[in-house]
Amino acid sequence: MAKFILNGELKSADVESDTPLLWVIRDELEMTGTKFGCGIGTCGACTVHVGGRATRSCITPVSSVEGAEITTIEGLAEKDDHPLQISWKKIQVPQCGYCQSGQIMQAAALLKDIPNPSDKDIDAVMGGNLCRCMTYIRIRDAIHEAANKIKEHNDEQNI
Amino acid sequence: MSRISKGKSGGITRRGFLIAMTSVGMSFGFPRHLLAAMNPASPDGKVLPSEGDVYEPSLWYSIDTAGKIKVNIIRSEMGQHVGTAIARILADELEASWDDIEIIHVDSDPRWGFMVTGGSWSVSQSWPVYRKAGAAGRIALIESAAKKWGIPAAQCQAIDGKIVSSKGEISYGKLVELGLTRQFTEDELKTLPLKPNQDLKLVGKQVTSLDIANKTNGKSIYGIDAKVEGMVYANPILPPTRYGSKVVSIDDTAAQQVKGYQKTIILDDPSESVTGWLMVIASSFIAAQKASKLVEVTWDAGATTKVSEADIINHGKTLIDDQSKGSILDTGNVDTESAFAKASSNISEQYITDTVLHAQMEPLNALVFKNPDGIWEVHSGCQWQSLTLPVLAKALAEDEANIVLRSYMLGGGFGRRLNGDYTVPAALASKAMGGVPVKMILTRAQDIQFDSARSASVQQLKMAFDENKSVIGMEHHAAAGWPTQALAPGFMPKGVNDEPYDPFSIAGADHWYQVGAQKVRAISNDLAMATFRPGWLRSVGPGWTGWAVESFMDEAAHHAGKDPLQFRLDMLIAEGRNAGSTPVAEGGAARQAAVLKKAGEMIGWGSEQPENSGIGIASTFGQEREMPTWVACGVQVKVDKANGLVDVEKLVIAIDAGIIVDPNGAEAQCQGAALWGLSMALYEGTELLNGQYKDDNFDTYTPLRLAQAPEVKIEFMVNQYPPSGLGEPAVTPVAPAIANAIYNAVGVRLRKLPMKPKDLRAALSQA
Amino acid sequence: MLKRIVIGVCGASLLGLGLFSLYAWNSSIDPVTPPLTKDYSPEVIAQGKILASAGYCSTCHTPPGGQEYAGNYEMHTEFGTIYSSNITPDVKTGIGSWSEEAFMRAMRTGVSRDGHHLLPAFPYEHFNKMSDQDINAIYAYIMTSIPAVEQVKKDNGIPFPLNIRALQAGWKLLFADTGQFVKDSAQSEQWNRGAYLAEGVAHCGACHTPRNALGGEKYDEMYQGAAIDGWIAPSLTETSTSPIPWRAQDFYEYLTTGNSPYHGSAAGPMAPVMHKGLSALPDSDIEAISVYFAANNGTDQSIDPSTSESLKSAIAAQHKQADLRIDEGARLYATTCQACHYSSETIVKGRPLITLGSSTHLDKPTNLVNIMLDGVRSDQGIHGVVMPGFRNALSDQDIASIAAYLRQAAGEESWPKLLEQVGEIRNQPRFEH
Ligand code: FES
Ligand code: FES
Repeated sequence: MAKFILNGELKSADVESDTPLLWVIRDELEMTGTKFGCGIGTCGACTVHVGGRATRSCITPVSSVEGAEITTIEGLAEKDDHPLQISWKKIQVPQCGYCQSGQIMQAAALLKDIPNPSDKDIDAVMGGNLCRCMTYIRIRDAIHEAANKIKEHNDEQNI
Repeated sequence: MSRISKGKSGGITRRGFLIAMTSVGMSFGFPRHLLAAMNPASPDGKVLPSEGDVYEPSLWYSIDTAGKIKVNIIRSEMGQHVGTAIARILADELEASWDDIEIIHVDSDPRWGFMVTGGSWSVSQSWPVYRKAGAAGRIALIESAAKKWGIPAAQCQAIDGKIVSSKGEISYGKLVELGLTRQFTEDELKTLPLKPNQDLKLVGKQVTSLDIANKTNGKSIYGIDAKVEGMVYANPILPPTRYGSKVVSIDDTAAQQVKGYQKTIILDDPSESVTGWLMVIASSFIAAQKASKLVEVTWDAGATTKVSEADIINHGKTLIDDQSKGSILDTGNVDTESAFAKASSNISEQYITDTVLHAQMEPLNALVFKNPDGIWEVHSGCQWQSLTLPVLAKALAEDEANIVLRSYMLGGGFGRRLNGDYTVPAALASKAMGGVPVKMILTRAQDIQFDSARSASVQQLKMAFDENKSVIGMEHHAAAGWPTQALAPGFMPKGVNDEPYDPFSIAGADHWYQVGAQKVRAISNDLAMATFRPGWLRSVGPGWTGWAVESFMDEAAHHAGKDPLQFRLDMLIAEGRNAGSTPVAEGGAARQAAVLKKAGEMIGWGSEQPENSGIGIASTFGQEREMPTWVACGVQVKVDKANGLVDVEKLVIAIDAGIIVDPNGAEAQCQGAALWGLSMALYEGTELLNGQYKDDNFDTYTPLRLAQAPEVKIEFMVNQYPPSGLGEPAVTPVAPAIANAIYNAVGVRLRKLPMKPKDLRAALSQA
Repeated sequence: MLKRIVIGVCGASLLGLGLFSLYAWNSSIDPVTPPLTKDYSPEVIAQGKILASAGYCSTCHTPPGGQEYAGNYEMHTEFGTIYSSNITPDVKTGIGSWSEEAFMRAMRTGVSRDGHHLLPAFPYEHFNKMSDQDINAIYAYIMTSIPAVEQVKKDNGIPFPLNIRALQAGWKLLFADTGQFVKDSAQSEQWNRGAYLAEGVAHCGACHTPRNALGGEKYDEMYQGAAIDGWIAPSLTETSTSPIPWRAQDFYEYLTTGNSPYHGSAAGPMAPVMHKGLSALPDSDIEAISVYFAANNGTDQSIDPSTSESLKSAIAAQHKQADLRIDEGARLYATTCQACHYSSETIVKGRPLITLGSSTHLDKPTNLVNIMLDGVRSDQGIHGVVMPGFRNALSDQDIASIAAYLRQAAGEESWPKLLEQVGEIRNQPRFEH
């Protein structure tokens, strides 16, 4: 029995210990926002946060997240209003949208560590997230937009 | 009050249909967990209930007593925000308030007519239909209000979901509540007065597409998310060849150790979509996938186990050399023999493209079951319902009327889901199990192995010049695997020699340049056809014919000693067949000349470039002569001679698609398409090896990634021509523009796609 | 670490058996009834619990998913498979009938209550450095707080003649350091406390000190690094290949959080050492251990790694990446690893800079490849953080290219026969804990 905290709630699933976290989330816990793209860690569609860090759930056996805190796109922000979700909507990043949960989760992890990323930083950290619709230009813009908004917000708080 | 109008097809009423869609949980006895992503804006994809009675002026929408408007969309949503674009056309003409609009991606009921999403056709083809439908509603609502007020209709005006007159105002919802009886026949619809294009308010204005929000919070429902109570999971075992493999024996002893494994089914497929397949059934996807690796199968393999990319290409060359092969298109004067006979010089070059994979992000999947009413329900993203239904009917040996495809978001289509073959194995497995719901998901490797790839191609281009180096004749011979022959042979027209051809595998070669005598010959590569099932892939034929034509135009200009831009402009004359015959094509070659000039300005054509840097341009006309989207691309590249790397530093696109309905979505489509063009030019491409694609996942198949994406500048021409398409055209001029820029930078010509560093190094060492 | 078995027993057979049997013979100590909780003060039991944890008793005496302390943890050694003993206070199958004296003798000399020699997988030569008081505290804790479990120990799969327990005695004679802990008056109290813990209960040397051909610790190469359980326990001395020297605060951060941003994470056998073992010790003890190792390491404690040249060049190396179209390793790294392992101008904890990490600088790719294959679980490395495993995702070739790329980016000479090594590492028995 695998146990972990998913979007703030303790969950357990009766699955084989080598089951990838992705399929536990999608099929057992019925949260389908996290997507399956390649199954080998090369596309980023399955990105979730484990312990606050972006993690490819397709190659993470559920046994390795025992007791850990997991956040999926559904739990990123209570009202779907994470600064990235706001900028993503404003700039209309998604096309087919299939990669976007992973893109947003990866970008959220990026901004946490590198709050004011350069294009180079974005290229490097987002390089594992494939977008077949090639929404890259807007992804880059939306990350900058969110970073600026967060900074403005923080500056206001500090005044 | 009763519902008034009906769609013109019989059977269940529109109202009945809507109820069926909104309350699937009860009326068909479907399990509660069933999801169908028909409304891209509702959290679970479910259609919102209508309030009170509904009024349906035409098949395409309904208005309820709250004034909410449900717009029926027969196109699939795969990233184009197509519902938003089409609904805006309707809302504009209807004078509806945008906030009242709800999009419904309908299922495959025959009443909708021909259902396909591809060819960049959606907006262009929907434009007249939804405008007339909108006008019908507007007129009916005005008439109804006028009658109520007892004033002439001419004194009433429709504005933002209300009818307004000197008597006051009344909302659409209220009018529906009071009762509306006006219906429109098809003939009436044709003659309805439309708003002048200049008065359109929603069309061309920025809007947030209705499908966007759910694509940022994980709530969009794709085929892979389809779910129904009691479903089992399936993962297939694919045979060694695409065609002709037969299962000889299987041993599932090892698979039986997998917890949740149920059984392995050998498929018997009358539709011949999945010959030699097996389906491994288990209680979870992971169990099915694990077990499928453990089942030992021996096949009697098909004949193509040894075919390689080089075989396909060499065969293409042989076919081209045989003048008796192929179909010759009607290009006016096809007598090139005499032109070449009297030419004072001519050039001839060969262009090759490698196999390209769709690799759409959502691996193929389908959930199929027989519902309690005896209807086969197919839950899966699909681009061509009207083509897939007959295939399923054949596979299941069922009447088409007993099969329905439900709509889901597509995690990328790019043409892969035009071919609905992936629904067949799930259907056959469900049938073998008595109709229980079977959800099949392919792994990425299986998805690729089963891809309907863009075929490798060989093209031979020739041009004849007179003594002034003016062009007097041109030939274009193209051999490739033909998707339309494999999947929809009925769509193949005949050439002047009475041979059928795949229009999607030659469009682009029949260009708009004035070249004198012009022969365009399309040849089906039968070895390709036997080895894999060629598919339509984003930008289809023009993705590779355009590469050859536009590379060749630069080569011809150099031969003629002319500036490549001017050389083209001189031949883009809007006369005769190049004046444009359909409303969308109106303006013809002159519009292509305009985008070409524009792109030249944008990229700084003619400006001095540093060493090993160069500018290149190219121009194409989107998808077909009947529905051209004029597009030109300019690139600036830097070549590293030591390692053969080409960096595209600037990429600009000038595009004329007539009226732009959804500017933001249009720009997004063009950005994506241009980067696809770049990706196929420099980054992706596979080859056949032993009858299979060599790459099977993103560790070795390498589409463009974020760090490799340059800035892309897009400019739309502003005019009042009816809209053409935007999903694909910007793909087509990018590769030749890059090839031309490389030539201008370092003086070598690459005639093979993708242009790989090692090819460039080899070319440089020979130069 | 714990279950590395170094049974260099063959050596023992060199000794004349006659003489030897006299030495090898030990008397049985009479059985007792297990003591009761009230026989000890709560403080003593609590202290025993901490020490039992710091000695990783449970790590070696509990199989994955098994009952605590009940033994039969499987250890793969070069000499065969062995199973740990049941050390619950069960009278029949555990140590319930062991007196304090018997326990003390076992901890100090590796002799069981009934007089037979224990395999040196049991690191008694380290426990021997502990004080009587500490050993008795552990005894008190086990006897009063661990539930008795009846479970018979499985037979070891060690072939004859290595299975002759008496031969163990010879091994002891040859290799075991039988001296007790002696303070070094030249060093501080804190250093001495660290040394006492590290050499004694924590038995760091059992893994980090190289062994001779017969499995004895080479005391003159103490802590200079060794292979263990399919991993490399890196050198903790000035022979360390770490580009940034370890300071006391680095050891401290590593031992308290499972990670030092300048060196790497506690993975493989080190993970339980830190999360299940040392974490029980009070902070002051971890500080003492850190001071002790920093002194061993001979490091200039004043160097600030955040401004060091090594850090700068490691960051620069990752920023200057070969074009992905011509460097396979760089491409795979950029697409599968970099999302987490990239740092901008400064290094962020939780974004390990692999070109700096010890795994890329060791002489063998073992640790790097192990981590790529099986990742880092939530109970390893930084607690609650996970690295996925690429075992079923990437081929040996893919992994070798990434490793080669990293090795080169780290400025080190390439590892020889890397592809073969990756294959071997993939196929070696996996450390399960
Ligand atoms: S599905 Fe996990 S990285 Fe592609
Ligand atoms: S939006 Fe379609 S794959 Fe990224």
